[in-house]
Parts: sequence; structure tokens; C-alpha cells
Amino acid sequence: MNPKPSAGQLAAEVDTPVVISAFEEKSPTFTSLAVSLSEIRKLKGVIGYILRSETSALIDLANSKEIVDYAMLSSRIVESSVEIAKQFNIGETESILAEGTNIKVLCMDIGNNKIAIFMEKNASHFWIIKRILL
Amino acid sequence: MADDSHLALQAIIDEFKTLSPETTSSFIFKKNGGIISSDQDTSKEAIKNLTDAFNELSKKAQVIEGLESLTIQGVEGQINVTGMSSLYLATVSSRAADPKIVKSLTQVIVPTMVKLIDQTAPAAKEKELPQTVKPIEKKDSPKVGKQEKKSAPKPKAMSVGSEMFLPRPPVNQFMVDRISGFLVASDTVRIDSNVVMKWRELYGDNEIGWVNVETLEGKTVVCRFKPIKDQRSNGKGIVQIPEKIMLRLQTGKGKLVIVKPVVEDAKEKKA
Repeated sequence: MNPKPSAGQLAAEVDTPVVISAFEEKSPTFTSLAVSLSEIRKLKGVIGYILRSETSALIDLANSKEIVDYAMLSSRIVESSVEIAKQFNIGETESILAEGTNIKVLCMDIGNNKIAIFMEKNASHFWIIKRILL
Repeated sequence: MADDSHLALQAIIDEFKTLSPETTSSFIFKKNGGIISSDQDTSKEAIKNLTDAFNELSKKAQVIEGLESLTIQGVEGQINVTGMSSLYLATVSSRAADPKIVKSLTQVIVPTMVKLIDQTAPAAKEKELPQTVKPIEKKDSPKVGKQEKKSAPKPKAMSVGSEMFLPRPPVNQFMVDRISGFLVASDTVRIDSNVVMKWRELYGDNEIGWVNVETLEGKTVVCRFKPIKDQRSNGKGIVQIPEKIMLRLQTGKGKLVIVKPVVEDAKEKKA
């Protein structure tokens, strides 16, 4: 049986991923999420994703020019949503879905890892949530 | 927005807990943050914090072409903010809430009702139009005296005026059902015969030959229609659509569509 590929190996395999920083520590959760996200990225309608931990980041977006905009937006979505969630006492945030006119963003926190997946509006985010939580 | 519209929206909010008892908060706010209606249990401060955070986020969501909706799933509950033209509906539900009910309320029923309210509000204004239009007619066209009126051809503005007195087309929401077979016309949808009867009672001599079918995603088709003959299929809230039209609408069996009659003015037709 082949060992699971490391996130670094994955980065090389995905079409044009942009690795923002080297992986300083090998977190099994980060590696596992990277594998899941590389599979999700191949789904129809998925535009790209950002995976961040405290020490590493992996970004794969179709339009690399908008990386900064997407990264900033996903951070703001999480920050604002956490504030709103506190206000209405719905407990710790599991997932956030922000929908624009044509694109939607799914944000999730898995341990110390923050995920943002960008997809077309007709893509199934329910399936993606299930896949990540597997 | 008119007072009547406010009252209607408040009535929707008041009924929310009846329809979904697990919904702890619900309110409607404007894009600029103004609160249109809210339930009695939610504090104004909480509403303000949500609307401020949402509007701030919305301003920064250019990369996804604006923010239409936001769903926050928490361990103990869920917050939904759904865009409805220039308004937003926010609901907070506990984890026990049935997601299907919450989804149908927040994404189908309430937005459809708000759309209806939006449509009926301008209709009320239109009824007042003939009075306000009168001076403009005098300005643009030569003065038409009482005697001249009989002999002169009907001015165009008059025919426009007569259109205004037609009741606004009723909007019906149906669930899509597929219809197929040799004898099924591919350009004709079949509608509940009771609904068709009501349209005919409403419009009298004015002919209704076509209907406008619109999906919740905004795809529209204007096509011919027939009443459903089979009594078993009547009264079920379904519209039978042939494959060809379903493809054009990018819809499928079980999806919701809005159907409006396209009314031809009988007077105009005779002319």
C-alpha cells in the first residue's frame, strides 16, 4: 500500500497550485485535508481553495490574479460570522457559506486549519462539507 | 416601502415561529441596514450588530460580485441571511429545526411573498396613474374636446390607460411535473383547471393564450397552456411541463416555478 502523499508532493501534482509557504511541521490533519481538497478541486464547478494552518498555507485557485482578494474575503467572512454567531449564541461555528451572484464560498475550521473553498453557485457544497468531515 | 407592505412583512415575521417553532429570531432589513420588521424577542442591538457586520462584509465581497446570502452553521444553531431584491431576511434557528422547512421558508416562501408584495405595491400606485397622467396627455397631444373625442381616433394614451385597469396578473407557484407522450405538444404547459378558471373569471373577455413560466433562478419562458384534464392531477399545485420547456428553463421534476397569465386586452385585439 502506498503511503499518503505529503502536502508538498500534492502541491506539485495539482495543476497550478500556489504554495504560499513551506510546510514547517508535518501535521497529519493538514496533509489529510490537502488530499481531500485536491480531490474536491477536481469537481465540476469548484474554482479553487485556500488551506491555512498556523505555519503553512496551500492555495489553488483558477485565477491566480485574485488570490489576495479571495484570501482577504475568506478571512473577513470568518471574522464577521464568528462575531454574528457569538451575538446569537449558536455555539462554535462549524461551517459558513457566503453566496455571491455567481460564486459561493464555503469556509470551515478543522482544528487549527482554516479552509475556504470557492465554487460556482450550482456546485453542491453539502457534498463537499461531508467529504471534508469524513 | 408603503405602510401596507410593512404590515405584510411584519405579518410574515410574526408567523415565522408558528411555521418553524425552532426559529428563535427572524427579521427583515434593508441593504443600507434599516430594519423593516422584526420579531419581539430579538434585541435591536443584536439586529444592528448582524446588519452592520453583513453590510460591511457585503461591501467587501466584490470578488464574488456582491453578497446575496450568508449561512452560518453553529454547533447549537444556524443563522441564515437571504437576499430578496433590495431586502434581506435573517433567521436564527436552533439545531433541532428541520433544515428542509428552514430552507423552504427562507429561500422559497418568504422571498416569493416579498416579491408578490413588491409587485402589488406598484399596482396600487398604477391605479392612481390616470389622474396624474392627464395633464401630460394634454401637453403632448392636441387638446381633445368632448365633441372631438367621438370622431377622433382613439389616442394611444387612452389604450395605455385601458390596460392599466386590467387586474395585475395573479402569480401562482407550482411544483414541476414532467409530461410526455405522442399527443403532448412540446410547446404547451398544462395548468390546474381551477386556476385557469379563476384567471378567466378575473379577465372576462380578455384572452389568455399564453403564460409566463419563471423558475426561482430567474429563467423564464412564455408558452401556450392548457388546463389539466385529469381531475386527479388538479388541486395538487403542480404544473405539467414537457421536456423541451423544462430544458429551456433548466428545471426539473419537483422544482418550483412561478406562473403568470399573459393577458391580451380584448379592446385592443378588436382594434
